[in-house]
Amino acid sequence: MNLFKAELRRLARRRLSLVFGILAVAGVVGLTAIMWATSSQGPDEGQLAEAQAQADQWNEDNPDYGDCLEDEGFFEENANYAWAVEDSAYADMSHEERCEFYVGGMTAEDFIYTYTFSFENEGSYMLIGVAIVAGLIMMMLASSAIGAEWSSGGMSNLMVWHPHRMKVWGAKLGAALAVCAAAVAGVVVLAFGLLYLTAAVRGEVGDLDGVWWEATLERLGRTGLLTLGMTALGASLAMLGRHTAIAGGVIAGYLIIGDMLVQITSMSLPVDYPERFSLYTWVMAWISGKIELYNWNSSGMEMTPDVMVITATDAGLLLGGIVVLFGALATWAFQRRDAA
Amino acid sequence: MPPIIEISGLRKTYSRAFRQPHNALDGLDMEVAAGQVHGFLGPNGSGKTTTLRALLGLIRVDGGDMRIFGEEVPRRLPQVVSRIGAVVESPQFFKHFSGRLTLQLLAESAGVPRSRVEEVLEQVGLKDAAKAAVKGYSLGMRQRLAVAQALLKQPQLLILDEPANGLDPAGIHHMRELLQWLAHSQGVTVVVSSHLLSEVQQLCDSMTIVSRGRRIVDGKVADIIAGHSSASLSVRFPDAASLPEAVEALTGAAPDLTAAVDRDRLVVTGAPEPAWVTKTLADAGIYLSELVTETKNLESVFLELTGTAPVPGRTVQIGQSVEVPQAAPGGVAIDVQAEGVER
Ligand SMILES: Nc1ncnc2c1ncn2[C@@H]1O[C@H](COP(=O)(O)OP(=O)(O)OP(=O)(O)O)[C@@H](O)[C@H]1O
Ligand SMILES: [Mg+2]
Repeated sequence: MNLFKAELRRLARRRLSLVFGILAVAGVVGLTAIMWATSSQGPDEGQLAEAQAQADQWNEDNPDYGDCLEDEGFFEENANYAWAVEDSAYADMSHEERCEFYVGGMTAEDFIYTYTFSFENEGSYMLIGVAIVAGLIMMMLASSAIGAEWSSGGMSNLMVWHPHRMKVWGAKLGAALAVCAAAVAGVVVLAFGLLYLTAAVRGEVGDLDGVWWEATLERLGRTGLLTLGMTALGASLAMLGRHTAIAGGVIAGYLIIGDMLVQITSMSLPVDYPERFSLYTWVMAWISGKIELYNWNSSGMEMTPDVMVITATDAGLLLGGIVVLFGALATWAFQRRDAA
Repeated sequence: MPPIIEISGLRKTYSRAFRQPHNALDGLDMEVAAGQVHGFLGPNGSGKTTTLRALLGLIRVDGGDMRIFGEEVPRRLPQVVSRIGAVVESPQFFKHFSGRLTLQLLAESAGVPRSRVEEVLEQVGLKDAAKAAVKGYSLGMRQRLAVAQALLKQPQLLILDEPANGLDPAGIHHMRELLQWLAHSQGVTVVVSSHLLSEVQQLCDSMTIVSRGRRIVDGKVADIIAGHSSASLSVRFPDAASLPEAVEALTGAAPDLTAAVDRDRLVVTGAPEPAWVTKTLADAGIYLSELVTETKNLESVFLELTGTAPVPGRTVQIGQSVEVPQAAPGGVAIDVQAEGVER
């Protein structure tokens, strides 16, 4: 327990923790600022009038549109628009709509670009994104904390104090996971507060009913587990490689190059559902609860493809298996290998 | 009282790519008695650090038994580690933490009271630098910090790998006083590995000399030196021309004596006693102007025992002892012919 507390303090006292903490908070604040600036609850009267003037101007400069509005038989008489008459949607529209749609008239809305941030629709995606970024940061922090201790020689020193290696590893992993959980939760709560405020002031909150809460909390919970897994993976890789750069290199290398290679090779091989070889597919399945892959090849000319469903359980087993595998490897290596 | 540290038949083999495996420890034996400062000596690469690492459970060994406080290690190390303070190899710390924080984290992790941190900082003379980050420490300051962390838990056994490394003369003096005080008035057993032979001679009560992963000799420092000081005599004459005559006179009187001319003096070994030399020479009509008994110091004993005495025009490579005398079972009683060691 003492060792665990000391490890927590060691993590907290690292300068990198401070830097990453500031970066994470700055990121959330920056996201909020962007939403704050781009979102609005709709145009005010001045903007509306100005846009209307612009639209009128445009329509004036476009004689076809004026002609269309004035002439009820515009489409039937004009051979150039015969194609429009044959369009399946044509019959259901009023004449004005037809002019706007086929000839191209402008209304005030076309000249006003308003975006309304809807917390109900977009909030949970943003929170998940924030949690994933926080998790990546924690993965780097965990691997750098352990890697730096190996390469600085601090690990051997610690082992002279604590010969029970599994206790050392447990304390370090536990401290990294605890800090990860706290950091991700903190960042998500901060993001929730700021984004909710932004939506309330500059956009619309929407209806956050029981269904919304359930879906959001479920996804966020799984994302939280994902970040814990990433942290454990980062720590394990650093334990195996005994250097931050090795752990970071392996992770970045896989995520960027490895995944690309996997995709290229699977594309050139005649396999069904090549996406299933990409880690991202499984991560998406884990977070969203289910993902469907379509296979257009097998069905030939038919329009209904074969479907492969990956559920969160499948994805959890695979991703969890990867984390457990590397964790076990790291444990085994730490138990057996000489400390330099 | 049983020995604090007992090592027998310790082996450690490093496998090397494309080369013969290397026996860093080749059946090493060692015993350290309680309440002493014990020196651990050997040429570079002879396995001192490897032994200490093995003792502290940092590396796995390929054979042999080790006991500390009578407990088998590394298996029972967790039970005894609270009584052991150690520094292995050049001390390394996380660079961005201050000296004080480094010690505090260790103290906290093992449940040592915080107040000890200030005490040991004071003890090793790092009080003023305690706030600075370790990356700004000099070699000697790091060494002091390492010793401070070893002292932190008030150990009954202190294991220091080259503690004098990087220390200034005042620091060495201070360290010597500290270690002797710990051993002689606090009853702490201290094991120091060192290259500074004069230092070992002044600091240690007993010692073990190793070479190529084997014990060559152990015992009380004074005994070892005495056992190997087949004291030689340096004789000078008013006139250097009488040197060849003197050699003849001496070897003629005692055939198993060696008398070697060294510039303007004569080095005599194997003579019964100085008075005999004076008399023999006087009988031959040669009068001497100076006669000095040269007792050997640890350095020549060490060079002789480990076979690393410099040979003119050649460098001795690491691990290339000229010849390793067979380890004598349990003691000092080795008789090594000491030729060409003087100078
Ligand atoms: N990790 C390692 N891998 C391979 N060989 C090693 C390793 N560590 C030590 N050795 C070898 O073991 C031998 C003993 O090394 P050790 O560090 O114990 O020497 P030492 O007596 O402490 O030397 P020094 O006086 O220079 O500190 C050396 O020949 C060295 O090359
Ligand atoms: Mg060494």
